[in-house]
Parts: sequence; C-alpha cells; structure tokens
Amino acid sequence: MAQLLAHNQTLPVTLSSVQIHGARNTRKSFLDPFFRPLVEDSRNVSYTLGDLLNEVGGTVSKLQKFDVFHPDIHVHLSQPPHLDPSTSPTDLDLSLRVREKSRFMLKTGTDLGNTEGSAYGTMLVRNIFGGAEFLSMNASAGTRTRSAYSAEFSTPINSDPNLRLSLDGLASSTHKPWASHEELLKGGGLRLNWAKENGDRFQVGYSGTWRQLTGLAATASPTVRGDAGDSVKSAITYLFQRERRDNPMLPQSGYMMKTTTELAGWGLLGGDVGFSKSEMEIAGAVPIPIPGSKSPSGISIGCGLRTGVLYPLPLSFGLGGASPSRLNDRFTLGGPTDVRGFSLGGLGPRDGTDALGGDVFAAGSVNMLLPLPKVGPDSPFRIQLFANGGRSVAMSNRTKRNDTASGQRMTAGSVLNGMLSATKEVGTGLPSIAAGVGLVYAHPVARLELNFSLPLVTRQGEESRKGLQVGVGINFL
Amino acid sequence: MSSTAEGKARPQPQESSGWFTIPAPLARLFKKFPLLMYPPNELPARSPDIRHVPTLYVFISDEDALKGLPSFNPSCLKWQTFLKLAGVDFCVRSSNNHASPTGALPFLLPPSISRENRSPRPIPSNKLEQYGLDNGKSRLPEGPGARLEAYESLLDHRIRNAWLYTLYLSPANAELLTNLYITPATSSRPVRTTILYQLKHAAELEILKSTSRDTINPADLYRGLKEAFHALDAVLSDEEWFFGSASPGLFDATMFSYTYLILHDGLAWQNRRLSDILQDFPRLTLFDSA
Repeated sequence: MAQLLAHNQTLPVTLSSVQIHGARNTRKSFLDPFFRPLVEDSRNVSYTLGDLLNEVGGTVSKLQKFDVFHPDIHVHLSQPPHLDPSTSPTDLDLSLRVREKSRFMLKTGTDLGNTEGSAYGTMLVRNIFGGAEFLSMNASAGTRTRSAYSAEFSTPINSDPNLRLSLDGLASSTHKPWASHEELLKGGGLRLNWAKENGDRFQVGYSGTWRQLTGLAATASPTVRGDAGDSVKSAITYLFQRERRDNPMLPQSGYMMKTTTELAGWGLLGGDVGFSKSEMEIAGAVPIPIPGSKSPSGISIGCGLRTGVLYPLPLSFGLGGASPSRLNDRFTLGGPTDVRGFSLGGLGPRDGTDALGGDVFAAGSVNMLLPLPKVGPDSPFRIQLFANGGRSVAMSNRTKRNDTASGQRMTAGSVLNGMLSATKEVGTGLPSIAAGVGLVYAHPVARLELNFSLPLVTRQGEESRKGLQVGVGINFL
Repeated sequence: MSSTAEGKARPQPQESSGWFTIPAPLARLFKKFPLLMYPPNELPARSPDIRHVPTLYVFISDEDALKGLPSFNPSCLKWQTFLKLAGVDFCVRSSNNHASPTGALPFLLPPSISRENRSPRPIPSNKLEQYGLDNGKSRLPEGPGARLEAYESLLDHRIRNAWLYTLYLSPANAELLTNLYITPATSSRPVRTTILYQLKHAAELEILKSTSRDTINPADLYRGLKEAFHALDAVLSDEEWFFGSASPGLFDATMFSYTYLILHDGLAWQNRRLSDILQDFPRLTLFDSA
C-alpha cells in the first residue's frame, strides 16, 4: 500500500467532487470554506496526489478541532465512473464519512476540591446552528461557591477552529471565609479567543460585573466592613498563554508562560473601580538524567514564578483622582496550590483574622520530583521536595491623616509613591517561606498533592500551616 | 526587627483537627517554626486608621462623616443623637446595609485593642441603648415606662410610614432618594435601576406590614402622621423635653431625628407634605431648634 502510494505521489490529479456523509446538523456554508480551496487548488496543472492527500489530511485535522464530530473521520478517494462524459481521466472524487457527536449533553456530578465540596449540573448544546457553535450552561452549588450559574455561547469565526468568539453570563455567590464575607457576582462578557498553530493562546475580552460584598461574619474586620457593598467593574482583559511543558499536571521538561492584563474603569469603560492589573506566571522543568542510564529517570527539577501588580487609576478621564484598591480586586496569595505551607490567602496584610490581599505580589517555588521507588517513572505518582515563598504587599497611604472616609481619592503622585514603596517592600527582607515534602498524583484532569510542610519565614499575622496540607488543582506554582 | 516565634505561632494543626492530638516530639518540632518572624504587613490604604474610638456606621456622605455631621437616615440619626446625648465619644463612618450584622444600619463597632486580635463584634442598633448607658459619661433620664411605649409606637409606625412613603415612594422625591441612597452605591445605570427598585419595594413592604393593609393610601398615611404629631405636641406641651424630664433622652433623640430631617434645608424635598404638616405644630418645630 505504502509502495503504491509512493508510486502515485506525483500522479497529477484533479478533484471533481467532494461529498460529506453524516454531517446532518452541520451547515454547508460552514463546511464550504474547508473544501472549496481543495477543489480550486486541484485545478492547477502541477497538482499531484501527494498534494491532495496532504491537504485532505490538514482539513480533517481542522474538522476534528471543532469537537463537533467524532475523531474517526473516514476519507475515501475514488475515480468517478468512466461512463460519465463530463469527467477527465485525472478526476477523483473525495468522500468523507463523519459521525456527529450528540448535540445535547447533560452531566451532573459532585466534586471535591480545595477544601470544597460541590454538586454541579452542566448542559452542553453542540453545533446549535450547524456551525460548531456551542452553548453551555452550568449550575453548581457547594460549600464555598454557594451557588453559581453560568452560560456561555461560543462560535468559531470564518470556520476557523483557532478563532472563536464567545458571549457569557454569570451569577454566583461565593463564601470567602479568609476575609469573613460572601461575594455575589452578576455579570457578563464578550471574548475573542485565538490560537496559533504552535499552541499559543490569546484572548481579548470585555466584562462587566456587579459585585456585592455582603453577608459579613460577626468578627469581620473594619477593613472588610468598609469595603462591604456594591461595586461595578467594567474591564477589558488581555490574556496570553504559552504551554510548552510535556505534561502540565506533572511537568518533566519544558516551560509555560501566562500573562493577564486587565484595565478597569479607565476612559469610557465606566464602572466604580479604576485600575490596571497585570499578572505574569512562568514555570519550567528540566529532567535530571541518571548518569549511565539512557531511559528517562523520572526525576525533574521545576520552578515557578508568579507576580502581579494592581495599579490604581482614576475613573474615566481622571478628574477625581484615583481610589485605592478594594478587597475584591486585590491579589490573594497563599494556599495549597500556590504558596504551599500557608492557608488560603495566608500571605499578605491582615486585619484581625481577615486576609486583605496585596496590590503587589511575587511568589516563587522550587521543587524536585522523584519517582516512587518501586513504581517507576511512568506512573503518575511522584515524591515532591519543595520550597516556596512569596510576598504580598498592599499599597498603604501614608499621607492620609484623621481620615476615616473609605472613598478618599489619591493624586497621581501619591499613588505613584505608594506603589513604589509597596514594590520596594516586596523585596525587603526575606520573603515568607515554607518548605516540605509530599506526594503528588497527577490525574489527567487534576493534580492532587499531599504535603507535609513547615514555615521557615513568616510575617506576624500571616497564617502558615504546620503539618499536612492537601491540594487539588490544575495549576500549581 | 525580627523575632523568633516561640509563643506567637498559631497552633493551626491542633485547631483544625480536634480529634487528633499531635505527638509531643512533633509538637516540640512545630514550636521551633517559623525560624524567623518579621513584623506584620502594613494595611491597605482603604483600611480605617481610627480604631481606638467606637465607630458608628451610618448612611452619610464621606465629607459629612469627616465633619461628624448628622446622618440623613432617621434611624441612624436617632442613635447618633442618642449616643451624643449619652456622652459617648465616637466617630461616624459612611456605610451601607451590607456592612451591618443585621442587614440594616446603624451599628457600632467598639474600639479594637490591637490589629492582630480578632476584630470586636459589632453592636446592632437594638443593643445601642444599653451600650450608650454603659459607656456614656452623661446620666440620662429614666424613661416613663409604659407611657413611653405608646408614644414610641407613634414614631415607629405613623411617622415612619409617612416618612417612608414621602421619601421612597412619592415620585416627586425620586431625585432626592436617588441622591441619598443610590448614587453613592454605584455609577452603573443598570445596577442603580435595580437597587432603586429593590429599595422602593422594601419600603412598600415595610409600610404594608406596618399598616396591615393590602394597598398604600397616602391620604391615610398623612392623616396618621397628623394625628401622631398632634398627640406628641400634646404630650410635649410647653416643656423643653418630652415627659417633663430635665435633660433629653432616647425618645427626644427619636423625635429629633425626624423633625430635624423634615425641616432641615440640606435635604432637597420636592414633596413637602411632611414639613407642611409639621409646621402646624410650632411647639414640635421649636423642639427641633432646641
């Protein structure tokens, strides 16, 4: 067969017809852009069977990306019957047999995650208008996320699987015990996602969210009480992600990079909060070979770095000055999936027992993964030795005096000074550090860690954990 | 600068699992960590600085709060006045219902001893009288008991209902209502519309609950108000304070909270029925100036 193909690689061909079987719910106008070029290209004089097979292969893999068809797409090339007088000897017919995935999917289940249990129901409607459009609706109720309802409609643009536009809406209520309150969110957004062939992903979007900080605990601190109430965030976001790790759940080699930038309240955006918020994350791993052994040892050293800055900006065009950040906009740092050995939101400024979050943060980790003695490098289990640390600093306003108003505005100069001294403070002294040892299990959907750790350096008030800590998540530091 | 944290480290593991006691050697090891402890992080810019005096959370603009001016909400102003009369040294802070333990302002946050400790529990408005009596420097007159209650219900129902109707439901005062309660909350139009609707709806329910009727009849409410003022005017007669006491008490504070807000120029009333009715009782309006 291979020989036969090789022989015929250079055979000149033209494509006379394309037939697709089984795409009952898929629009012709959606499929046309894939196959029209095939037919048109094949009119070239120098077009060969090899070219045709290449292009068909490319088209099939594109079709698979839409998640509308089952991955087993059958391709069939045949010569049209000689009786047909309109055909020429080089003509070939292409037929594809696809199987559409079911249009409706309902899923319910329960989840146990980061000290949270939840039950959820999801409804997914695939290929609604026959153009690989998706509508997904999600409802969940849990111990931490009390309730969440979300809906997302997304559609590819120009039949391009790497370019999608999505519209989403959300209503949720989340219990945040580390800051003694409950946050209610209602909002929606519009996003454009695109991906490059090399896997880099980009997203630009707009989102508007009504946030209510309510349901305070009896011992909520004055800071949390001061930030209670309504605020609207109207923001544009930009996201970039590059994933080059061999296995994101258990990286042995490669790197990843992720940046998020958000601009809220400035210019025509409106809303009640104005800031620019940028966050960057890089992580990488290198395998450590055992001298003399050619097979992968399963030993690797990884490191990660996360950093972010929230810079207060004046609302609209800046006549009123900039307001300092609110509790729900600041970064929370600490917890089993970022700085291990600290409780959730355990790093950074605290008022009483409430974690208030920081305006500037930096966190880093180094870890070594070792295969379990008898199980070997191919198993999803590893022993982990780690040390991680971080610093989360809030911009304080040293110029204010006798001022109890929460809505105070700061001039551009005092914001700059405040941010500079906060940034300087991040590098002052040692960061808060914890180190430990643990067991990692990399399940295809999530990574599970059980760690024993002890804090080495902390700041007074920061909540470290001594002893065992369980972490479940997708993205670990 | 730094100190080792022998005693100060939080005993987290013990706390989190009460059924599990840590073996002694491990506990000794835990005690050694963290090896180094720095002083606490600084608080964010929006954190309140003033913590050594009690803070009364009320509906008020930020500027007025700084100057210690009266709140524009009668029940907030009532307690603000009462605490002043009781001689409690406190400051006011602009807030909203979400901050309150009961879901309604006002409430008072006692001074905190230090930032590291658990924050003090707030005192809801129904415990403020006791708080004022316990912590105030002035001695307040004893209330006349059962007689007081009858008059209190006039304030709590008839006057309050007329107040609620006039400010919250009367279309002429929509702008005033928006300026007082909606504009400070958010600048977003759809959210403002939602909050305004919720606020009006809540006021309507309050009135219906209080009058035990199915519909709101403004004429009835204003007649009720007139009757209430009439009765209060009679009980005040020519005394300086209610019930003939030598100094003002809680009842006087409640009365003041309404008469002040009805007559005071700071509120841009468009529907002026409340003040028109109050004008018929000059002794009550004089009470305001006293």
